Amino acid sequence: MKFIVSSSYLLKQLQVLGGVINNSNTLPILDNFLFELDQNKLTVSASDLETTMSSVLEVESDATGSIAVPARLLLDTLKTFPEQPLTFVTEDNNTIEISSNHGKYALAYADGEEFPKAVELTDPSATTMLGDVLATAISKTIFATGNDDLRPVMSGVFFQFSPENIRFVSTDAHKLVKYERSDIKASEVAEFIMPKKPLNLLKGILGGSESDVNIEYNESNAKFTFDNFELVCRLIDGKYPNYEAVIPKENPNKLTIDRTQFLNSVKRVSIFSNKTTHQIRLKIAGAELNISAEDIDYSNKAEERLTCDYQGDDMQIGFNSRFLNEMLNNLASDEVQLEMSLPNRAGILTPIDGLDEGEHITMLVMPVMLNN
Amino acid sequence: MEQPPSDRKIIHVDMDAFYASVEQLDNPELRGKPVAVGGGEKRGVVSAASYEARKYGVKSAMSGYLAKKKCPHLIFVKPRFDRYKELSQKIRKIFLEYTELVEPLSLDEAYLDVTNNKKGIPSASLIAKEIRQRIKEEIGLNASAGISINKFIAKVASDYNKPNGQKTVPPEEVESFLEALDIRKFYGVGKVTAEKMYQLGIFSGKELKLKSIEYLNEHFGKSGSYYYQVVRGVHNSEVKPHRIPKSVGTEHTFFENLSSEVFMLEKLEKIAHELERRLKKSKIAGKTVTLKIKYSDFAQQTRSRTLPYYIADKSMIFDTVKELLYQEKPQNSVRLLGISLSNLNTEKKTTLPEKPLSVQLQFDF
Repeated sequence: MKFIVSSSYLLKQLQVLGGVINNSNTLPILDNFLFELDQNKLTVSASDLETTMSSVLEVESDATGSIAVPARLLLDTLKTFPEQPLTFVTEDNNTIEISSNHGKYALAYADGEEFPKAVELTDPSATTMLGDVLATAISKTIFATGNDDLRPVMSGVFFQFSPENIRFVSTDAHKLVKYERSDIKASEVAEFIMPKKPLNLLKGILGGSESDVNIEYNESNAKFTFDNFELVCRLIDGKYPNYEAVIPKENPNKLTIDRTQFLNSVKRVSIFSNKTTHQIRLKIAGAELNISAEDIDYSNKAEERLTCDYQGDDMQIGFNSRFLNEMLNNLASDEVQLEMSLPNRAGILTPIDGLDEGEHITMLVMPVMLNN
Repeated sequence: MEQPPSDRKIIHVDMDAFYASVEQLDNPELRGKPVAVGGGEKRGVVSAASYEARKYGVKSAMSGYLAKKKCPHLIFVKPRFDRYKELSQKIRKIFLEYTELVEPLSLDEAYLDVTNNKKGIPSASLIAKEIRQRIKEEIGLNASAGISINKFIAKVASDYNKPNGQKTVPPEEVESFLEALDIRKFYGVGKVTAEKMYQLGIFSGKELKLKSIEYLNEHFGKSGSYYYQVVRGVHNSEVKPHRIPKSVGTEHTFFENLSSEVFMLEKLEKIAHELERRLKKSKIAGKTVTLKIKYSDFAQQTRSRTLPYYIADKSMIFDTVKELLYQEKPQNSVRLLGISLSNLNTEKKTTLPEKPLSVQLQFDF
């Protein structure tokens, strides 16, 4: 087996695939990239058993073959080369020799048959969307996922497809994000929970991408195909919580405020909040929002006043400042609206402007009960 | 305190070989013979030795085996704690005729503050003499006493003319008494500290007094300031009639050394049960659970955990101890296990400002 490939082209693809490989694997074969050569088509794959990603590269060759090459060693070597053609040749003693302009390097390889195969999806449904749209949906939601091993469903993002729209939902039981696109539709109703790791990989590759992503899915797996890439992953098993039920319907108290100003105040004031609760207090009366925090253990306290547009009763509500910070940071609008009903019910944060046609974002945050 | 500390009159009364003397008192056959209370069993230790036995080098806390080796004709008797307690209470009654300020340290020792005594006797030395005489007449036991301006010196002094004697250190002699005092006799200086003091060239109160407070703090940590003050005759600890226990503990030494955690757990459950009984009896609960492990080579280890709430029942104690046991493998086979509970709810609560409670609410999924 012999092929010639551009060093930087190969490195670029391998660096993307390398994100799949775990730092420590129970199965040593997973420390390798799978190289499958079919004349001038080289398919490189990486897997952690849950997620398998592959990329098809064009190379100069007329051979076929399948080998597993140590990923770390190969990446470390490729990083050091300036752009140049590299020749890969398998030798008799189970090594693959790379010839560069500088010299020769031999790596031991394993038989490609040892590498676990990606799952084939049996009768999948399919939906297509723009790469950048998927990347945006992921980045708007993934920060709100949970890390609780006891509730694995909340550690992923809930994909909800229907003929009317598609939705992406995430929550950790304290905060919740619902990202909806009414401009994209699926042929039928489908729901599945995507784990965080493949989503982070997709987010990284697809940001700003103008390519279409074809999403196929069934009960247990999902497959994302775009450009020369293919990602297959196992879905999180279980029933996603009924998030619609926790979105308060009647919210008479509506606050509209400049997002950047609000975010900056929250950031400053939260420095003075208790280091474990991160609690800040919002006091709203008339057209004034008062943000304060206090750390009684160290006698630290801060208070800021902002002008805002407010309709509703005077109220006081406590929030974990980290949640507000993350949520406000994740929005891109100039102004935001915070709708509230009672100090012990969720606040609803929505952007007022800056959305695409058909794009809707709803963020929920549960308050911290204040007792004074 | 009504009197300035230096004008106090404190007596430390210490019964001579109390347990052994009680046995000799109740059983005339034992009189004049070397007697050891406890230590008769395979692994027991001597709780007390009569003066006849002490001549042979038998001391309390010595293993029965070693005691027998030192004094082959030593007579071992089983301790009868109920009897000791009964007599101890009789003695305490005598003390209470002189002052209400009696602080019992154990069954056989107590501090008395006789600065303002009920009988209006101006001399503490005379009171001590009278008390010792009455104990001898009414109960039949010998006691020794130390008389001085604070508990520390009184305690040291009671050892001075032991047995059946007393020693007064009047205010004007305090300084010279402490200067001449062997460092090992200082209450609170054990073997290890004494060794350390020797290495620093401190052999008596005189040398100790020459060291600065910073120097002592550096070498002895928290105890540094204590030594600094005590050697200057400053020890303001009051005679506390109601001694509040700081910890409650139970421990067992085993016939055979234990090497498996499974057996240890079995024993710990029993110990926890006993501890619970004691806690319930005195209506005490505590926050800190300490597991004490003594290995077959006598090396000792303690592991403790403080809980955010008070506990007193067996299952909670046992659960915590179990975690402590499994926290680290035992280094050797184990001869003794003990559990104690401290941070008790009897301690005076320092009132902290009430922290505002804040609760992060969750979605109702």
